[in-house]
Amino acid sequence: MNVVPLNMNANCDTTCDPVLRAGNTNCAGCGMSIGLQWFSEVFRDSKPILAIPACCGIVTAGAFPTSAYSVPIAATTFASAAAVATGLRSVALMNTEENVTVCWAGDGGTYDIGLATLSAAAERNEDIIYICYDNEIYGNTGGQRSSATPEGVVTSTTTSGKSERKKDIMAIMAAHHIPYAATLSVAHREDFIRKLEIAKKTKGFRFLLMLSPCPTGWKSEPEDGVDLIRYAVRCGLFPLYEVYDGDRYRINVERDQTSIEEYITRQRRYTKGSILAEELTQLIDARWQKLKRIVRAFPADDNKV
Amino acid sequence: MARKLVSGNQAAGHTLAVAGEANREARGCICGAYPITPQTEIIEFLRAYEFTKGRVVPVESEHSAMAVCMGGSLAGARSVTASSSNGLAYMTENVFAAGYYRLPIVMIAVNRTLGPPWNIWVDQGDSLMLRDAPWLQFYTESHQDLVDTILLAFRVAEDPRILLPAMVAMDGFVTSHTQMGVDLPEQELVDRFLPHCIVPHRLRSDHPTTIGGLTWPKETEHHRIEIQRAMERVPEVLAEAISEFEEIFGRRPHGLLSAEHTEDADVILVASNSMARTLRGVVESRREAGEKIGMIKAKTFRPFPREAFESAVGKTAKVGVLDRNHSPGSGGIFWQEIVTSLRNQPDTMVQDYLVGLGGGDVTPEILHEIVDDLISRSKSVEPVWKEVASR
Amino acid sequence: MTEVTICGRGGQGGVTLAKLIATSYFLQGKDVQAFGVYAAERSGAPLQAFVRIDDEEITNHNQIKCPDHVIVLDRTLISPGIAVGAKSSGWIVLNTPQAPEDFAELFPGRQVATVDATSLAVSHKLGTRSVPIVNTTMLGAIGEVFGITLEEIEASLAELRFGEPNVTSARQAFQQVRKVKLSGHVTEIPTPQVRQKIAGLLDEDQGLPPKIKTGSWATQQPERRQLTPPCNDGCPAGNDVRAFVEAVGKKNYSRALEILLETSPLPGVCGRVCPAPCMEACNRSELDESVNIRDLERYAAEHGEWPVATTPWRSERIAVIGSGPAGLSAAYQLAKQGYRVTIFEAGKQLGGVMRTGIPAYRLPPDILDYEISHILDHGVEAITGCKIDRKKLLELSHEFAALFVGTGLQNIRTADLGTEANDAVQEGIEFLDRARLGEERCDDERVIVVGGGNTAMDASRTAQRLGAKSVRVIYRRTRDDMPAISEEIAEALEEGVIIEELVSPIRITPMGSGVGLLCQRMRLGEPDESGRPRPIPETTDDAFFEMPCDRVILALGQSHDLSILPEGAELKDGDTLVGLFGAPIFSGGDFAGNDGTVSAAIGSGHKAALHIHQTLSGDTGTPSTTNPVAEPNVIHMNLFNCSVQAKPVEIPMNKRRSSFAETKLGLRDLPGVSQAAMEAQRCFNCGTCNSCNRCMDYCPEGIVYKEGGEYRFDYSYCKGCGLCSTQCPRGVIYMSEL
Repeated sequence: MNVVPLNMNANCDTTCDPVLRAGNTNCAGCGMSIGLQWFSEVFRDSKPILAIPACCGIVTAGAFPTSAYSVPIAATTFASAAAVATGLRSVALMNTEENVTVCWAGDGGTYDIGLATLSAAAERNEDIIYICYDNEIYGNTGGQRSSATPEGVVTSTTTSGKSERKKDIMAIMAAHHIPYAATLSVAHREDFIRKLEIAKKTKGFRFLLMLSPCPTGWKSEPEDGVDLIRYAVRCGLFPLYEVYDGDRYRINVERDQTSIEEYITRQRRYTKGSILAEELTQLIDARWQKLKRIVRAFPADDNKV
Repeated sequence: MARKLVSGNQAAGHTLAVAGEANREARGCICGAYPITPQTEIIEFLRAYEFTKGRVVPVESEHSAMAVCMGGSLAGARSVTASSSNGLAYMTENVFAAGYYRLPIVMIAVNRTLGPPWNIWVDQGDSLMLRDAPWLQFYTESHQDLVDTILLAFRVAEDPRILLPAMVAMDGFVTSHTQMGVDLPEQELVDRFLPHCIVPHRLRSDHPTTIGGLTWPKETEHHRIEIQRAMERVPEVLAEAISEFEEIFGRRPHGLLSAEHTEDADVILVASNSMARTLRGVVESRREAGEKIGMIKAKTFRPFPREAFESAVGKTAKVGVLDRNHSPGSGGIFWQEIVTSLRNQPDTMVQDYLVGLGGGDVTPEILHEIVDDLISRSKSVEPVWKEVASR
Repeated sequence: MTEVTICGRGGQGGVTLAKLIATSYFLQGKDVQAFGVYAAERSGAPLQAFVRIDDEEITNHNQIKCPDHVIVLDRTLISPGIAVGAKSSGWIVLNTPQAPEDFAELFPGRQVATVDATSLAVSHKLGTRSVPIVNTTMLGAIGEVFGITLEEIEASLAELRFGEPNVTSARQAFQQVRKVKLSGHVTEIPTPQVRQKIAGLLDEDQGLPPKIKTGSWATQQPERRQLTPPCNDGCPAGNDVRAFVEAVGKKNYSRALEILLETSPLPGVCGRVCPAPCMEACNRSELDESVNIRDLERYAAEHGEWPVATTPWRSERIAVIGSGPAGLSAAYQLAKQGYRVTIFEAGKQLGGVMRTGIPAYRLPPDILDYEISHILDHGVEAITGCKIDRKKLLELSHEFAALFVGTGLQNIRTADLGTEANDAVQEGIEFLDRARLGEERCDDERVIVVGGGNTAMDASRTAQRLGAKSVRVIYRRTRDDMPAISEEIAEALEEGVIIEELVSPIRITPMGSGVGLLCQRMRLGEPDESGRPRPIPETTDDAFFEMPCDRVILALGQSHDLSILPEGAELKDGDTLVGLFGAPIFSGGDFAGNDGTVSAAIGSGHKAALHIHQTLSGDTGTPSTTNPVAEPNVIHMNLFNCSVQAKPVEIPMNKRRSSFAETKLGLRDLPGVSQAAMEAQRCFNCGTCNSCNRCMDYCPEGIVYKEGGEYRFDYSYCKGCGLCSTQCPRGVIYMSEL
């Protein structure tokens, strides 16, 4: 909980600091920072240890020997977060230590370079919480495409809009039959916190995917970030759902009549005419039909969860 | 002490296991394991071993194997792994990371030719590729040397004055798959020899730090100097460890290097791994024939013991280096290091011989030829290829 | 060699500016370098970039410590520190709206140039609103200062593919830059050369937070404000609507009632009959439907615990003439202030038009009785059946310390329906009063009601209940122009009343067993002084027609009877009447020209009571400042989910025709669910912080905190992203430019 102003750095009391302290170097309006504040609310007292691969999430820690994080952090090589976390957690378990091992990674370290490591850790059902803050871009290097970049988006390596579709990482993770996988929205706080609480109670590999607004990469106003995610959820672009054991699905927020226009017109990464709202709407419709079919066929039993 | 007939891999596996088990009352042992020929048997041995407090994680790649070791070590456990050839190449990023993190991980490198084209046989190019990583490197000639060196590696790597990872190399197949008699260390003695592994900068909730984050030039430079200073302390720490080893195990392993018949030698040959043993037989026979031939077994490659080489060579006029490795465009890697070590001895001629690359069979006859060649030379030339496989 | 240091923020284009400057010299054949300091800082963080220019080959690659010139792209970065090490012969070029002379204290003895590049960049839409990109604009100013020609500047821009509007912006900056050599002596601040201990990787002393005061990145900061909710603004009674609704939302019904009773003694009445301008003003109607404030008020009156009444403690006696809502409100407020109040009522019972004019199916008399008795509990005396005329009023003015006149509208507006007009024609007010007393029946009658106000609606619906065969309302304008509460019109129609629009009565004619009403059709013309379209009689042959009927009820409105007042008295709502002797006399309610609603009369009575108190006590109170009204555009509607307004339970239609039982029964709770609380929770709390915590919850930096129940911001770390403001649903937090 954000209880205390953090302007008394000299002798900071780490027991009341949030996981990500003030004075970090994330951009103003960074979605990851919001995610970390909420993560902090749920996990601050659970002695979290974070493995963070190369991404903005580690740069924000600041320069050695300081740390903007108030919890132990292993800054891992790009592809290694889930494997380093495996080592950390294994040793914690064999020493019956009560702490939580968390991977906090961007889309590059999750969808792309770290995918094999992530997949292996998930397959081994390591007792790790893996949180991907997905800003759909290689933000740390200044905004290049990733496999999480959605269709149509302009990046410095897709200057006329990405022609390929965004990778469905949730489907990949569900295919690992991990105990819990869920999507997170920084505009839906209750749902976000609830899912973190479920992740906290669950044993084994837990995967959480958070769509993270990135004013710098999305070329949007910092103050719009949360609203953008709300539109993304409402118009159906980013469904909020959860998957138990890879085969029991639940949608948490249904899409409504919100138009994709609300989302794309506020971001200059979309406004070069590289994709039309109608095309996106069709893609969204198709994805929702698929998701709905899956949920109907494999519903999560509310009593069982 | 039980003397057993085992393969080099089994000897290594056993030693890693008892060393890991020796940390059972501390924070345990962790291993990230991924198989590759000819190292595979070590991984199988470790997976089968029942640790009191330990885990062998079957990962999906060497890169993750080292990452698991790093995680384990960052959590304070004794961490071990093993690899070979392209596995080491794939692991390289994390090999460097483990060193820069100052994590005392011990890794067995079973030397194998890098490919493709695929070649599974011995060549030291894989571990020597990692010569610029912040790791200690030891090269072993036999099962006993291997076993003893692994134990020394833990002692030195985990010493608070050092805190660097250590690599122990053996020849693929020639050592790894050859059954030989060896005194396998018993748990009780290993428990005495190895103190609990303490990683002072392990991640602790009561002292939260970010390890491995952004570091400015001035701190980075300082950290590099710290690593160099730690490397420079190895000879002293290793010597202490050997003395204690002798007390407990009743035998005295080689240290930085082993200089044999060098005091009065006209020519000295330098070799490492199993080739050093073959060379010993050749040197002994030439000595019996009255020739003043000496040898140096190169064991510690990182840190490179320049002073020890300088004093072992002394005023000897001719030194021949046997390199089972090749740095294209340059030559043998041991040769480069030895030439640097003898930079203040202009009267000594140093000749490099590239021998047994790609797993070529190195026979005593070939080594005799090299000795003859060296004796006959008055001036060193570019590294000489002794092609052995085509015979 | 010339060396330049550029101080800017991540995202402002400082490195590109370095390249632009270098390019302009490069194109002249000079050897140049342009480079930045690359680190981990992000958008908004202070950064440096450098330029080297020389005629000879430049061989060194180190960062510049002692530049010839310093350029500052962001005015928040201007500090003595930027000039440290700079040569006094060079220029300091600042992006600021200030004049160079303003920096005499900051940079004494230096050559300083200033230009408002941010305004220029914003005017040319360069960059985003939060981070305007000023580099190309600054190039113009720098060019002027360094002696680069406009042609060379444009060539440099073209080389880096900058077209319009960058070129225009640069050209304007070239023209607008102001330069001056400041007086005084350059203070050479020595660069501190403290050799600090360098941390080792294994050192214990690690993990302290970085000492980066990210507040310095901000270009804007959040502030809090209080706005007036539109419902409060719209309530004629002056109720704190938002606050009582919030209390209902928290199921604290007694608190809700307490808040209502601050300003109105008649919440149960208003909760039934008020046209609810608050609901009309409610911002929620922009999203879905307004909050059902009227029924919430009724709910609070029904479910809250009525507080114990106070007793008078002052000696002054005050007379209140008339016991309608204005008089009761004035009496109540004065009694609460400790005055001894006596009400004089001409009728037999208290309540005025609320009793005589509003039928029981809208306002059951027991509700009125209860609320009046609560007023009387405050030590208010009431004398009924006592009509006060001019003479009596003057007498009272010598007995009482102050008088309040709220006698409403006593003159009935009527129409001359010709010589045949007889018993069949009746005044609406009279009809309603008789109906109330059970003195009327309309069995099998065809009833015509003339008028479009609430009395017309009440009369028509009452006639239905009294057994009429048919009831028609004729009105000379259209339904949309009727002054009656729209809901009442709708309910009348539901109950079977027929409305004939654009019809005006002419005269009564005999017809069969009953009479006929000759009518004339109307059409709508230009708006009249009331703002409504003026009805114009049609003159065609078929414009005249007769409607058979048995009874015609006239509901044409009333006006006030000023005969009670001394001659020459001027009527001013709530104010002292001018030109009188004796005690001051105040007036209010419909009598003083209010709009005919109970709530307006309550507000008027309250206002008069305040004036009376101020006049008698000399206590002018603290002047209240009125905050601006929270307009819909400050409310973040997207943060709310659409929901349906909770509607009151109504009795079925078939029971209404024959019964005067109340038609609406208010909000009904479901088992375990308070319908009222849920409805109240739909309230946006416009412009008022209700401690929803969202500013804290959505702050990415975690620097919003609560102190003494108030949210505060740690400005030393606030990066100024503005999320607290966009996530504040009610427009309380706004961003102010630094």
